[in-house]
Amino acid sequence: MSVSRTMNLPRPARVRADCEGAPCVVDGRRIELVRESWLVEDRWWSGRPLRRRYWEVVSAQGRNLVVFHDLRCGGWFTQAG
Amino acid sequence: MPGTPPYVELHCHSAYSFLDGVSLPDELIERAAELGHTALALTDHNSVSGSMELAQAAQGHDGMRAIHGAEIDLAPEGRGGTAPRAPRLDVGGAAEDGRRHLTLLVREARGWRNLCRILTDAHAHTRGSLRERAEPAVTLATVLEHAEGLVCLTGCAGQGVHDESTARGLLDAFGPQGLRVELQRPYARHDRARNRALQALARRLGVACVATGNVHAHARSRAELQDAFVALRHHTTLDASEPLRRGNHSHVLSTPQAMARRFADHPQAVAETLRLSEQLCFDLGKDLGYRYPGAEDAGALRELIELCQVRLDERYGAQVPAENRRQARERLEEELRVIDRLGLAGFFLLHHEMLELAREVAVEVRGREAAASRWSGGGAEGSDSPRSLLAPGRGRGSSVSSIVCYLTGLSHIDPIANRLLLGRFLHEDLRGLPDIDLDFPREIREVLIPRVHERFGRERAALVAAFPTYRARGAIRELGKVLGLPPGEIERAARSAEHYMGAPEHGMATTPPTRSERWRWLARLVQEAYGLPRHLSQHPGGMVVATRPLIDCCPVVPAAMEGRQMVQWDKDSCADAGFLKIDLLGLGMLSAVERCVEYIARARAERIDLSRIPFDDPQTFAAIREADTVGVFQIESRAQMQSLKRTLPRDLDDLTVQVAIVRPGPIQGGAINPYIERRRRLREDPAYEVPYPHPSLREVLECTLGTVIFQDQVMEVAQVFAGFTPGEADGLRRAMSRKRSHAALQSHRESFLAGAQRHVGADPRTAEQVWEMVSGFAGFGFPKAHGAAFGLLAYQSTWLRVHYGPEFLCALLNEQPMGFYAPDSLVHEAEGRGIPVLGLDVNASHVGCTVERSGEASPHALRREGEESIGLNRGERLGVRLGLGYIKGVRAEEVAELVAERERHGPFGSLGQLAARVGAGRKTLEQLAWSGACDGLVQAGPASLRVGTSDARRRLALWEIGIPTRPATPGHSADGETQLALPLELPGAPRLRPLSRWQRLLADYATSGVTVGDHVMAALRPRLQTPMLATSAQLPRLPQGSAVTVAGLVIARQRPGTAKGIMFLLFEDEWGTINLIVPRAVYERERALARAEPLLLARGRLERSEEGVLNVIVRELAALERFVDTEGPSTDASLHFLPVSRSAGAEEEEGEDGAEVGASMRAVVPPMQSFGSGRRR
Repeated sequence: MSVSRTMNLPRPARVRADCEGAPCVVDGRRIELVRESWLVEDRWWSGRPLRRRYWEVVSAQGRNLVVFHDLRCGGWFTQAG
Repeated sequence: MPGTPPYVELHCHSAYSFLDGVSLPDELIERAAELGHTALALTDHNSVSGSMELAQAAQGHDGMRAIHGAEIDLAPEGRGGTAPRAPRLDVGGAAEDGRRHLTLLVREARGWRNLCRILTDAHAHTRGSLRERAEPAVTLATVLEHAEGLVCLTGCAGQGVHDESTARGLLDAFGPQGLRVELQRPYARHDRARNRALQALARRLGVACVATGNVHAHARSRAELQDAFVALRHHTTLDASEPLRRGNHSHVLSTPQAMARRFADHPQAVAETLRLSEQLCFDLGKDLGYRYPGAEDAGALRELIELCQVRLDERYGAQVPAENRRQARERLEEELRVIDRLGLAGFFLLHHEMLELAREVAVEVRGREAAASRWSGGGAEGSDSPRSLLAPGRGRGSSVSSIVCYLTGLSHIDPIANRLLLGRFLHEDLRGLPDIDLDFPREIREVLIPRVHERFGRERAALVAAFPTYRARGAIRELGKVLGLPPGEIERAARSAEHYMGAPEHGMATTPPTRSERWRWLARLVQEAYGLPRHLSQHPGGMVVATRPLIDCCPVVPAAMEGRQMVQWDKDSCADAGFLKIDLLGLGMLSAVERCVEYIARARAERIDLSRIPFDDPQTFAAIREADTVGVFQIESRAQMQSLKRTLPRDLDDLTVQVAIVRPGPIQGGAINPYIERRRRLREDPAYEVPYPHPSLREVLECTLGTVIFQDQVMEVAQVFAGFTPGEADGLRRAMSRKRSHAALQSHRESFLAGAQRHVGADPRTAEQVWEMVSGFAGFGFPKAHGAAFGLLAYQSTWLRVHYGPEFLCALLNEQPMGFYAPDSLVHEAEGRGIPVLGLDVNASHVGCTVERSGEASPHALRREGEESIGLNRGERLGVRLGLGYIKGVRAEEVAELVAERERHGPFGSLGQLAARVGAGRKTLEQLAWSGACDGLVQAGPASLRVGTSDARRRLALWEIGIPTRPATPGHSADGETQLALPLELPGAPRLRPLSRWQRLLADYATSGVTVGDHVMAALRPRLQTPMLATSAQLPRLPQGSAVTVAGLVIARQRPGTAKGIMFLLFEDEWGTINLIVPRAVYERERALARAEPLLLARGRLERSEEGVLNVIVRELAALERFVDTEGPSTDASLHFLPVSRSAGAEEEEGEDGAEVGASMRAVVPPMQSFGSGRRR
């Protein structure tokens, strides 16, 4: 298990999303189902504000994944649920 | 998308949820309308404080409907303590202590009554006897008992009722039509799972689901403030409060379409919002059903007529001219006819009843005799039955002009003799109730308020609420803490934010240059918070009474003061609800003039009826025009005095304007200078044509020479010039009176400009100009009627001051704190006018100050005319003796006991006797001796002592009770060198150095705060090393523009928000006062001196206006102590006096004299008009 994994730090991910913003493909894995989606907008008062749309999804292989779309920089990341 | 929007918001918090909502109801309505909503429900926590505002705001928007409700807290134990606790669902705003929430919505009038009862119950126990505050909550049982007419939603995502057994209880009470399972989608992690579970619950219960948005902000720009408020509510910082926050900004009001999309998984719950909202048709504006007592009473008119007839015969009997009698009769008939048509007889009787109640209270509080001497009714000389007494209160509103009010005792001024026009108080087009404020002497009011609760029943009478709002300073302090900024710097920023009015961003202008992200956020949050209500508080005296229980109209909650309760609405909401509001205000000056009348009766055996004094007394108006008005009501302040010399009032009408003119409204509206200028031109040339921006304005602005000075003029201008209906004009006034009104004012502006062109054909420039006049008024201003009543009291108090100076001074001194000046300044000013003021004396002083015959005038005394005899012997005059109650650090009971003992067994022969007979403690004796009250008790000492002087005697008295000979400080006796305070035969005193003049002055300030017969400036002047110092007596003789240096004791400091950073100082020296203007730059440089230093020296330029108003424009400020000569001959002991903190012996150090003058003054100087310690009227 990598260090970033233990720290639960986000890792960049390659994601393709549909028009609603929901991920369809994450790191080459096809997404079967969206279980939940939530929004984090916080730490606005600090120098590093957060604005993230999280998706909890299930891949075609039946794997649970949590990815988020950073609404500030536009990138996608995966993070352990 | 025209037509019906797909969603109605049924769960929304305003700032009245206090720290859990960041928008005002009108902002919510405004924004909702923009976003395409057609209805909005307000569901504040345990409150409907914002509901009337919501209803009013919705009325202004076609197609927008207000729905009312509240989100209530269920007490944790639930029904019988059997209900299981709800599973904790992790959504922001985590459950605090197992409390759960329910959303209640009002379907019909019955439901509103039930909601009010539920909320009343929720707050009933929030104020324990120990003054602890508990959070409001109700038991489930209470809710179930009051289900009728209400719709219950199961509550928010975080703390709703989500367990089946409680939900079934709700279902039993509310029925399937009255219960909905509430679904929310705050974009938190477990939304979907929870909503699926809730949907299943709804299916099992057989009720529908409904979607809600749990809105907390009307716009995205305010979303961050909600996060900050959450941290504030939990007394923590933003950094530390993450688990408590909502986590995102989905609590901002959204479009109906976006909300429908948010609940795409639950289309039925979205559709249900529409179906449900159609059932919620309760209209707060129409369905309240409030009636005031007497409103339905058919016999009320008969009773009122009879009452007035009896009084008419008394008041307008043979003692008045026949013509007045005839006019009075006609006027009464006319007024009664209008009252009958408007159905207001009960209203007048109710006010009369309040006064009668006050009269009973007065007799109780003051005793029958005192009451009689204060309110002897005119016309019924000698018949002092309580009925003939004038009640101890008076109307403030325009009621002053009504004869019915005069006859029922509401007004103390004869409208016929004084040719007062009925004007707007009572006319046939009157909508709503006339406004009558009743002012009472303070001590009466304290007893009267609970008595009104008793008389009308606790369910039927309550105080009006008030909502203190966020101002720059408080917001900086609280939000700065939440942002985790350093406390010292927050405080500095807060102190520099003095602009309490106007744009709040100015408040932050002087904060450190926006250094970091957090400081930038502070500035922004403060601006967003500005004007939002902070908490529920109590209006000073507004009471609402009703025929049916008030708790059916509005929730009633306990007030902070025990035994008092208030409705959840403020005065505007109460007015909108049509509640009969009676303002029972405490007014120090009313108590003072009544005291004065009592003292006059005692000292001169003269009966004064203040309603029948001449209202055109030339001496009184001469004093007013010379601004010889220290101590009188309203027109005594520094600003008023300067204005008096320019406006030169000649009658009561002028005074009505005068009291209203020095107010933020007229100042910001730019009314003052034009008014003064036009008065001057009219004086010089009676043919001068007052200019009006538009001819249509002549009628409404004539009395104020074309300017807007009274609040009612704002409404009148809107009507005659812009064609506003009375309702629209009132809306404009309300938009102005409410703090946060920018958006609302803007929309009024457009209709005003358009209206002006349509209604009177005004060109755009003129329309804009008139709008500027009106909108500039946005700050606080008086209604005209208020001005009339205050102007009258200003006149009456001046009249008393002119003709009965000693009694008036005595009354003021006994009514402190009140007015603009500290007692010390009042005393000095009176001494300057030749009124003898006698010092403290255990053998002469009473507890309070007293009017006394005095053999000799005070040192400054100048004889004035009009004092020749009132049974005084030759050489005798009336003076004022200071009361022992003025001595600080002495218990009231001890002083009372001392006076009682003296009255029982005669004067005290010595200090020993005093100690033995009174049994006063050591500390009391010391304070008495320091204050000079024991000077008369010491025997002549060695010849070397100048025994005749107070300084020597006070030293001796101090020695006798064991205060060491070395200078010490009042209240700080040195241990060791003590002499027991016992009736022993004392050995002869050693050679004692008398107190120096300076020491005596400091002792006076330290003990009583008042110096008599001397002045610190007189004591210091010979020792000042500034050759060119001008005194207040010399200034008037110096030419305009002279460079001057002045010095004095600072008796007033003001830095009003309207003055753009300028500070006004008032110096006092031994001859009088000096006005100084400290420009912003000088103020910024010498802030500490300007704000706190008691003795100042100022260099600057003398400015003299055409009318002879003098001001020194300050260029340089310095502490006076720097100029005290420490080298010169020090025959009169030394100037230095040990400051409190110094150890004995430190006084020997050299070169510290000057500094000690300042330090010792700073330690003892009495409280004055200054920042943070506003004085009361």
